[in-house]
Amino acid sequence: MYDWLVETHYASPHLFKALITGLLVSTVCSVIGCFIVLRRTSFLADALAHSMLAGVVVGYLIMKVLFGKEAHAPAMLIGSILSGMLTVALIGFVSRSSRVKEDAVIGIMYTGIFAFGGVLASLFSHYVHIDLLHFMVGQLLGVSDQDLWMMAIVSVTVISFIILAFRSLQLVTFDRVMAASLGMNVVLLDYMLTTCTAMVVVTGVQVVGVIQVVGLLIAPAATAYLFCDRLRNMLWVSALFGWTGFLLGYYFSETYNVAPGAMIVVVLTAQFLVVFLVSPRYGLLADFQRRLKAVPQQLVEDILGVILRANKERCGMDDLVKHTPYKADRIRKAVQSMVRQEWLCFEKDVISLTDDGRQHARRLRRAHRLWETYLQHLGVAEDELHSRADLLEHLHDEDAVDYLDDKLGHPLTDPHGAEIPEDFVHLVPGEVMRLAILREGHTGEVVRVNSGLVDQVAVGDRVTVGVREDNSQTWVINIAQADGQATEHRLNHEEADAISIRLD
Amino acid sequence: MTQQVPAIEVKNLTVSYGPVPALLDVSLSIEPGQLVGIIGPNGSGKSTFIKSLLGFVKPDFGDVLLFGEDAEKAKGRVAYVPQRGSVDWDFPITVGEVALMGRYGKQPWWRELSSEDHDIAEHALEQVRMADYRHRQIGQLSGGQQQRVFMARAIAQGGDILLLDEPFAGVDAATEKAILDVLESTRETGRTLVVVHHDLATASEYFDALVLLKQRLFAHGTPEQVMHPELLSEVYEGTLRIFASLQNEAAAGGDG
Repeated sequence: MYDWLVETHYASPHLFKALITGLLVSTVCSVIGCFIVLRRTSFLADALAHSMLAGVVVGYLIMKVLFGKEAHAPAMLIGSILSGMLTVALIGFVSRSSRVKEDAVIGIMYTGIFAFGGVLASLFSHYVHIDLLHFMVGQLLGVSDQDLWMMAIVSVTVISFIILAFRSLQLVTFDRVMAASLGMNVVLLDYMLTTCTAMVVVTGVQVVGVIQVVGLLIAPAATAYLFCDRLRNMLWVSALFGWTGFLLGYYFSETYNVAPGAMIVVVLTAQFLVVFLVSPRYGLLADFQRRLKAVPQQLVEDILGVILRANKERCGMDDLVKHTPYKADRIRKAVQSMVRQEWLCFEKDVISLTDDGRQHARRLRRAHRLWETYLQHLGVAEDELHSRADLLEHLHDEDAVDYLDDKLGHPLTDPHGAEIPEDFVHLVPGEVMRLAILREGHTGEVVRVNSGLVDQVAVGDRVTVGVREDNSQTWVINIAQADGQATEHRLNHEEADAISIRLD
Repeated sequence: MTQQVPAIEVKNLTVSYGPVPALLDVSLSIEPGQLVGIIGPNGSGKSTFIKSLLGFVKPDFGDVLLFGEDAEKAKGRVAYVPQRGSVDWDFPITVGEVALMGRYGKQPWWRELSSEDHDIAEHALEQVRMADYRHRQIGQLSGGQQQRVFMARAIAQGGDILLLDEPFAGVDAATEKAILDVLESTRETGRTLVVVHHDLATASEYFDALVLLKQRLFAHGTPEQVMHPELLSEVYEGTLRIFASLQNEAAAGGDG
């Protein structure tokens, strides 16, 4: 391929021109294509491409009739951009002011204007010498110097515009309302992007033709979209895919002697399909693999629950099957995955919890019992408490459970009288926490007091927490005095929250 | 007390989409430093109200004044947190980049953002406890985290008026509390917050003042004035179940 790329093109200025054209056009198409993909306007780009025909013919005719010039490239370029803009303006106007939806309007307008161009071309076939076939499928090998200059100018203009106005374009694509609220001219930006698209489409048509130009615009951008999490990266990754697509397609077309335009689009599409299959994050295989590995959270938590309730926290596979509503092979798979995660030990048909597994199971039990207490507060019937809490215990997000605990006044027991596990996530010796979450027997040193609320306690006091009183709504604490005696204080929830303790 | 210029003053605001009026002759003014909730049934023009404050929707008739100035001139003093449903969560953009968007209005479009802008955006992320997620793509966050990222963007923008469209929709209790904390601390810096809210049960608890909209302005005042069962049942016709539970709550409210 190196010989072909360097030596063939070095020897033939004709082929060299085709190579430069292709690289230039595929770059600018891929870059603007990112915005087309993200704004979901690929149908509009297709419309722009088709409506060009009318503009090309009109531009040709005007120069021929008025100035006697044959195939004047700038006039045809300006004509095609104008007809593109006219099409977009018509589409916008009609879809805004009629009940016909935008996609239908695009369909009507672009075929209409394209057909109008076709009618003009055959009506004035004596004057206009446009090769319609090349217009449809492109003519990479027949690019004139004038065309190449035009493409260079378009590419430089469009790419500098995108680099310079990147922030505005990103914001208007992502969040129009905010863009407008910052004083950006949203409509003007839309039109500038559309103008850029129109200019780029004109260059793309030279390479792959009207029918396939959408592929050149969309395929590299969509491929990059499957890789990138930032628009900035997506732009250059897309350009890279545009290059590889063009180079490979062009090489194959030379090798097998087929039309370059078609081959390039075939390669671009193949590229997309391959990436769609293997992309590490958004690909089909990755997705499949994730689904294969995934064990439903609910199943994992049910298994932990069963083991925690079992005698000596040990049980066999058949206990799990009996106490959970799942099929045996799913449970076996879940157990294996949990063994890999080191939550379970599976030895001689006995399943037991590891330290991590026990921690997770306790967290679950705490969530379950707090939910039951909460549901009872709401007045849910006694016999429904357990089943409803079973559903809700899966909402054991740390913050949510702590919030519930706080709202309920840090209850000690659930409605069935079972103890609610203490807040073991925060009760870490040496850490600072609010006194309210401490349980009987905890000791620590006061590090902060909101003295507006509590005046019996001072920073530096040694505190021992006693048995809670008054239906566990009153915290009882003992403060050690200098003489070895201890004084007892009673606090409500708010006061207990006002004191921060460093746990021993 | 000196006469204060209202943060938001709306006079005879009328907006329509085609033949359908979205807002009819709404006039009200909101004092600076308030946390105001906008309530009303679905399709009552709440979002339209916010969008006309932003200048995104052009009114058929009427004026919007922000700090006594024409809304056009006060652009950029208003920050906006969009409804979750209106954001493309697959967009290739990271948490850090969204927060940085808050600074986009501060530099002309051709100039790079300054390192100060980056610091401010970073600080805003820290304020909503999302700094650790700065390299995540926004689709890979939980609902509450997504909401916090957009709060950070609004904070980074540093506007005097914050408009939020349904920030509490579809988030869990803990996130709701976290968002409320951010709202309250933002108000304490003297900013004015206008929040579209759907949950009548919490409306009076969260806001200093409420605005009840259904095309027309039905009420504007303290929560006690607005959360009137009769007024509400007039606006929310056919959804009386809500009021039954509300009244129960009001009756039970004495001990809680």
